Amino acid sequence: MVRIINTYGSLLLTAMGQTLLLALWGLFFACILGMIFGLMSVLKNRVCRVIAQIFVDVIRGVPMIVLAYFIYFGVPYGLNNLLHFSVTLSALQAGTICLALNCGAYMAEIIRAGIQSVDKGQMEAARSLGLPYWRAMQRVILPQAIRTMIPSIINQFIITLKDTSILSVIGFPELVNTAKNVVANTFMSFQTWIIVGVMYLFVITILSRVAKILERRLNRGNAQI
Amino acid sequence: MAMRKSDGNVKIHISHLQKDFGKSKVLKDITLDVYEGEVVVVIGPSGSGKSTMLRCINRLEDITGGEVVVDGIKITDRHVDINKVRERVGMVFQHFNLFGNMNVMRNLTLAPVDLKKASKEEARKKAMQILEKVGMDKKAESYPSQLSGGQKQRVAIARALCMEPDIMLFDEPTSALDPEMVGEVLQVMKQLAADGMTMVIVTHEIGFAREVADRVVFIDGGYIVEEGTPEQVFQHPREARTIDFLNKVL
Repeated sequence: MVRIINTYGSLLLTAMGQTLLLALWGLFFACILGMIFGLMSVLKNRVCRVIAQIFVDVIRGVPMIVLAYFIYFGVPYGLNNLLHFSVTLSALQAGTICLALNCGAYMAEIIRAGIQSVDKGQMEAARSLGLPYWRAMQRVILPQAIRTMIPSIINQFIITLKDTSILSVIGFPELVNTAKNVVANTFMSFQTWIIVGVMYLFVITILSRVAKILERRLNRGNAQI
Repeated sequence: MAMRKSDGNVKIHISHLQKDFGKSKVLKDITLDVYEGEVVVVIGPSGSGKSTMLRCINRLEDITGGEVVVDGIKITDRHVDINKVRERVGMVFQHFNLFGNMNVMRNLTLAPVDLKKASKEEARKKAMQILEKVGMDKKAESYPSQLSGGQKQRVAIARALCMEPDIMLFDEPTSALDPEMVGEVLQVMKQLAADGMTMVIVTHEIGFAREVADRVVFIDGGYIVEEGTPEQVFQHPREARTIDFLNKVL
């Protein structure tokens, strides 16, 4: 164990950095996608709602590993052969897209549920005062929705961080992929996977703690409600 | 009809208003004019469409057919900026609908400040005056969840008043209140009526209607069945359905 840490420690730490990098990019775009599709799914407009629903259903219905293969190998191949349009995606780009789509779909559902959990009368009251829809959304609905969303969002962040490991299949040098190489070199799979497990555990525990503090602070601000 | 305010300007003009929810026709043919400074009380059995009619006046419900003109603006016209009309039509809801994420003061100043009708200081000053009027100035920093039902409703009325509306709509404002809190809300509404506000009130408070209403409108089955002064409608109802309803509620 000590030998692995001495020899491969910095390599594994770098890989952890790559994992976090991938997760952050993925989460960043997932938040944007989630917000767009989440808001679309509560609009009056049927077309918007149907588009949002299709997005969520498709992404939820496909395993992420399939999505990863499709985006990394399938899409460039397809564009190249069928449309004679040459594209190459780096593993980081493909991984980010994959995470963003996957996590974005779940975020959209979280955001939709959060908005719908706010009493309809809140929107009506805001509109009755003359506030336009989006203004009412921003001032009245979203601030209340966000409190119910926070625990689910944090949960989704953690799941997404762990899901980066799936992207080892497209050769992105994140933690699992790197660990596989370490195992291949040392044959010490027991020790290596324990180290990797502890590394994930460590990062996610910190994330959970920070989230708990954040959540408590947010709720303290609204303790009266 | 001999109304004491009927010579004034028409503030709300509703003609042949229809409203469907899917297949069910809630409002079939409603025609009603409300004059400036008039207090119109709308009564009727539950499901008769009285709340729906009220919500059509500021287009909280999409209008299926007919015409609604508020303050000279035809709101059934698709191109009308409904937000501008709503700024001048206050609404009070059965369930108060105070913004839970804001204290009382923010509840009152949000719309005036956001819609640039007043600076923050002006809005706060005005809000404080109105809160005093409804007896809630001590609770300016409280959150809605810390208030009783009656207090919430008085704040809700104050919130609507902060936009300086010409018309106030009340959708069963006392129906969700404990009996001992009804009085304080009705008191505020009486004061408002005395100040000359044009009001349309959906309510079950017959005693209040008798005291404050210039006109009582009885709606049933999506039609106005009968209308007149409180005396005409309550003492000498002509229609069988009105008599039937009044027997049940009085």
